Amino acid sequence: MKLKTVLSNKKAIFFFVFPGFVLYTVFVVLPVVWSGYYTFFDGIPGIKWEFCGFDNFVRLFHDKNFVKALIVNLKYIGIVTAGQVCIGLLLALMFKYWLKHFATLVRTIVFFPVVLPTVAVGQLFAKIYEIQPHYGLLNSLLKAVGLQDLVQPWIGQASTALGSLSAMDIWTAVGFYAIIFYGALLDIPEDVVEAARIDGCRPLQLFRMVLAPLLRPMIITCVIFSFTGTVKMFESALALTGGGPGGATKSLSIYMYDTAFTYSKTGYGSVIALFIFLVCVVGSRIIRSFEKPID
Amino acid sequence: MKKKIIACLLTAAMTTSMFSVGVQAADKGTDRTFKILSMWAEDDADSGQILKDVTEQYIQEVNPDFKYEFELVSVDNLKQKIATLAASNDLPDVFAYDAGTPLIELIDAGLVLDVGAKLNELGIYDKVDPSAVDFLTGLTGTDTLYDLPLGQNIEGFWYNKAAFEKAGIENPPATWDEMLEDADKLMEAGIQPFVTGGADSWPATRLINAYVIRKLGPDAMDKAYKGEIKYTDAGIVEGAKMLQDMVEKGYFGEGATTVDQNTAANMVLSGEAAMIYNGSWYVSQLQADTNPAGEDGIGFFNIPTVEGGVGKAGEYSMNCGTILAFSNDKYDEVTEGWLKYFVENVADYAINNQGTLRGYVIDQYPDDLSSYSKMVAEEIEKSTGSATWFEAAMDSELSQIAQENVQSLMNGDVTPEEYCESLQDIWDAAH
Repeated sequence: MKLKTVLSNKKAIFFFVFPGFVLYTVFVVLPVVWSGYYTFFDGIPGIKWEFCGFDNFVRLFHDKNFVKALIVNLKYIGIVTAGQVCIGLLLALMFKYWLKHFATLVRTIVFFPVVLPTVAVGQLFAKIYEIQPHYGLLNSLLKAVGLQDLVQPWIGQASTALGSLSAMDIWTAVGFYAIIFYGALLDIPEDVVEAARIDGCRPLQLFRMVLAPLLRPMIITCVIFSFTGTVKMFESALALTGGGPGGATKSLSIYMYDTAFTYSKTGYGSVIALFIFLVCVVGSRIIRSFEKPID
Repeated sequence: MKKKIIACLLTAAMTTSMFSVGVQAADKGTDRTFKILSMWAEDDADSGQILKDVTEQYIQEVNPDFKYEFELVSVDNLKQKIATLAASNDLPDVFAYDAGTPLIELIDAGLVLDVGAKLNELGIYDKVDPSAVDFLTGLTGTDTLYDLPLGQNIEGFWYNKAAFEKAGIENPPATWDEMLEDADKLMEAGIQPFVTGGADSWPATRLINAYVIRKLGPDAMDKAYKGEIKYTDAGIVEGAKMLQDMVEKGYFGEGATTVDQNTAANMVLSGEAAMIYNGSWYVSQLQADTNPAGEDGIGFFNIPTVEGGVGKAGEYSMNCGTILAFSNDKYDEVTEGWLKYFVENVADYAINNQGTLRGYVIDQYPDDLSSYSKMVAEEIEKSTGSATWFEAAMDSELSQIAQENVQSLMNGDVTPEEYCESLQDIWDAAH
């Protein structure tokens, strides 16, 4: 009742909304508009800054490096999103239905990488994948089990660099998704599962017919989380491979950064940023279309 | 009530503006704070230490009232930081920057001090080493100095003497073919002949450059950027092919693009690899107590000549490291005092405390100079001409593409022709 009185008072609304509105405008809306304005300029503000109309937009369509970065980014989104969500779900099922002993310990260990700083993880994996001057963990293991042929510069060649990077990022984040799914599984009433079992459901059927439909909203949420996280692929690639070799792990964000800040083309960088924003919006919309309307 | 609020606001506004005027006025005076923007930490035992210690020395010996602020910015953010400061007309008094094309942009915008003219006024122009002056003015394409050197490095091949001995190699190679023969001998002896910091990319493009300046002459890469020759010139393609072939033959070991230059440099010290292309900044690593090769274990030879090439054996690939530039607007007697002291004292400080050459004239070499520092000084004396590094004349985009794609070249993902075309494409788009 009191809240209603407050909300009908226009001055009160102004009082509560105004600070947030100002902060949001200054730190979010304004920079976005500003970067939209930048898209019509060439050069770097302060040193060389010229109006160029729609040139930057036209350039986007002829830019081979942009297309290359886009493809790398899309592959990465596909591999990492699928990996994080699927393996996260599998781990959660394992926590709930399979692990009997040390469950808390295992959950802690799986979650642990989530809290590690990205740069530290990058250094760690650079050591794991190392080949020169000494074999890292992976190559040593391969050699030890007699798979000498598989010893290779994992992050030093285009064919395996993106895969190696994806494996690292899946490892880092999978604990986060496992915990979310675990929470969702705990929410599923035990009697539903029990009833399905009495009806003769085998484990795979139980998952397909009972658990998966009940987890659906959570799966979609996780896919959106993972998608938005992978669209902005940046720091892990920079820490592990620096975008290399030869641009094999160079994402749109890295390309945008290079363009705006290294090549002194702030305007063109803003166009790429705009494109990333669009990918985010469209991607999230597509994923949400899998949501079923709640009856 | 409303009037009161407005009165309060106005008073606050006026006080603030008066205060800021006061601050600005103080800023212009002789007791202002001198700002140094560095990309080296103050305690890095390298350029950062020099900047800080020479400034401290200046305060102690000459100007006790001198106040300064030392700001550190990472290499990656340097350009962006300077651009932002330039846009707000607030460049630091002195700042680290990239020599060559990036500096030219600032010169064209009138932001950088003609430091050569000031040195002339102060009568200390001859304190800067003439070869460094030639080199820097060559890079900026100006008659006068717009930047001060912070290093004077020669580049070439450094080799582990014990490894050479083990493979039965008596003298360092004089021609490129001899170098490749030596590499084969080393391979037979079970020693990895070369190592390069392929993960950092720039050490790899230096190898192409080494071949190209011997094949086409020291100004080949300058000519390419000026458009006098193409990046797809047969000589440059040959250089790229040479690198690719050397990697393919296994001279650089497995995964040549995964090693960073620091690790690579240490591998030569420990004898895990025999040769590395590096600059004379390597000396600080060589004369450290931690060098397993000892005081005389590592040798140097200049880039070998290429058969049928224009480049001569006496020409060295040189560079002055990252340079120091001065704000044009901020220059006043505070800067002048610092500039004079710095130019007069930096050489002695560096040679006595670090055993390094910084591009300034040294009056007297210390007696206890390490054998490595002596070796470098002698090599510099022998120099009959100089070439720049691969990306020196390039703009930042071209330079980045050259470095990025060199890894693909080494891995065999692109052909030498494709590599050179990728450079020419970027050049064409920009010109």
